[in-house]
Amino acid sequence: MSKRKLTFSIFRYKPQEPDAKPHMQTYQLEEEMGMTIFVALGRIREDQDPSLMFDFVCRAAICGSCAMIINGKPKLACKTLTRDLPSTITLMPLPVFKLIGDLSVDTGTWFRHMSLKTESWVHTSKKFDPKAIEEKMDNETALEIYEAERCVECGCCIAGCATANIREDFLGAAGINRVGRFMVDPRDERTGDDYFEVIGSDEGTFGCMALMACDDNCPMQLPLQMQLAFVRRKIAQAGLKAKTKVVTL
Amino acid sequence: MFVQKTLTRNPKAELYYDLVELFSGFLLVGFLWTHMLFVATILLGSELFNNLSAGLDKYYLSYVGIPFIILVAFMHIFTAGRRVPTRYQEQKIIWRHAKMLKGTDTWVWVFQVITGVSIFMLGAIHVWVVVSGWPIQAMTSAERMHAFWWFYIILLILGEYHAGFGIYRQFVKWGWFPRKPIGYISKLITVIILSLGIAALFVFYTMAKGGGIV
Repeated sequence: MSKRKLTFSIFRYKPQEPDAKPHMQTYQLEEEMGMTIFVALGRIREDQDPSLMFDFVCRAAICGSCAMIINGKPKLACKTLTRDLPSTITLMPLPVFKLIGDLSVDTGTWFRHMSLKTESWVHTSKKFDPKAIEEKMDNETALEIYEAERCVECGCCIAGCATANIREDFLGAAGINRVGRFMVDPRDERTGDDYFEVIGSDEGTFGCMALMACDDNCPMQLPLQMQLAFVRRKIAQAGLKAKTKVVTL
Repeated sequence: MFVQKTLTRNPKAELYYDLVELFSGFLLVGFLWTHMLFVATILLGSELFNNLSAGLDKYYLSYVGIPFIILVAFMHIFTAGRRVPTRYQEQKIIWRHAKMLKGTDTWVWVFQVITGVSIFMLGAIHVWVVVSGWPIQAMTSAERMHAFWWFYIILLILGEYHAGFGIYRQFVKWGWFPRKPIGYISKLITVIILSLGIAALFVFYTMAKGGGIV
């Protein structure tokens, strides 16, 4: 069987270069067995263009750094095989995140802001005793937490989200899923009021329009529809009960 | 911290917006489907249709119902409408994004915005025409359908599309059921209501022709 010739159309733009203009550049490459987009990009950089920028670390869908728009869909480059794609492949950087250059974007700043905003740590008044035996958690709860924790923070859900594309402050599926993770954690002592304060607005859970691009494109196949809906119901209940103050002068 | 935002912040505002969007949407879908079932009584004869219309009048249901539905429609426009991108660049981003992503639900939403705005305009004309030609009688309806059948076909399709996918989206959003089955069910109901509407339209059209109005 003869090898396919692949044509890559890749977004090129380095915002830090004063005269640079965004444009698409084409590269051609012979397909190899089991080739991923990540492998193909490595080939292009090695053999054709050392100036091409893209991110990767683990090559095994664990680190979430190599997310990009592959033929219109947000995907992980390391998990996407060229044999599942037509011979012309278009690569774009993820929208919403700050562009560093070419296919490389800064997801770190966004996720750090989200982690701080949602206070992504177990809030407890108990003092930690390193010598005590760890408290037990029932298996079902542990699995629920683990399911949400499988998020690799690649940013595919944010890039695919129409709301996130036009509302810079929207926390998206990654942020709402994160809050859901702490809501089921029995060690976290935060109340419904506390959670409502964080995401009970259009920046959080009520900003979601349920276009489900997050659910359709999550490379880790997180059950985002049900997770987002679970948080929405909980936050709505908490909000209706919450005692909130309106500032008056 | 910004003074203007601190002094005007109501933490529950967006919760209420979301709930009003949900309940006004449900009411409007319920209204539209009932409305189409009432219109479809013409399939069983104009006597039943006229009696139903007279019955609704007799118990003041029309006089309470119509202003109530107009109020609910405005509540829906203000709450669901807050999601509509209004700036030129936002609209361009959404359009580009939908074309790039080719996500069915994203496209469905784009058309929901378009149908929503269109229903606002066409629905207003429809209400005005019907109310100014009160009471609702099979023969006057037949005349209208005969003259403006294209208007009613457009309004019917836009309305059913918006209602069918609107209710689907609310179910998806609140997670009462998984996405796939709720998609099938809402599409099935939409097709049934659409067929009833088109059948009723056809009956009215032929009635007007046969009744010597032409």
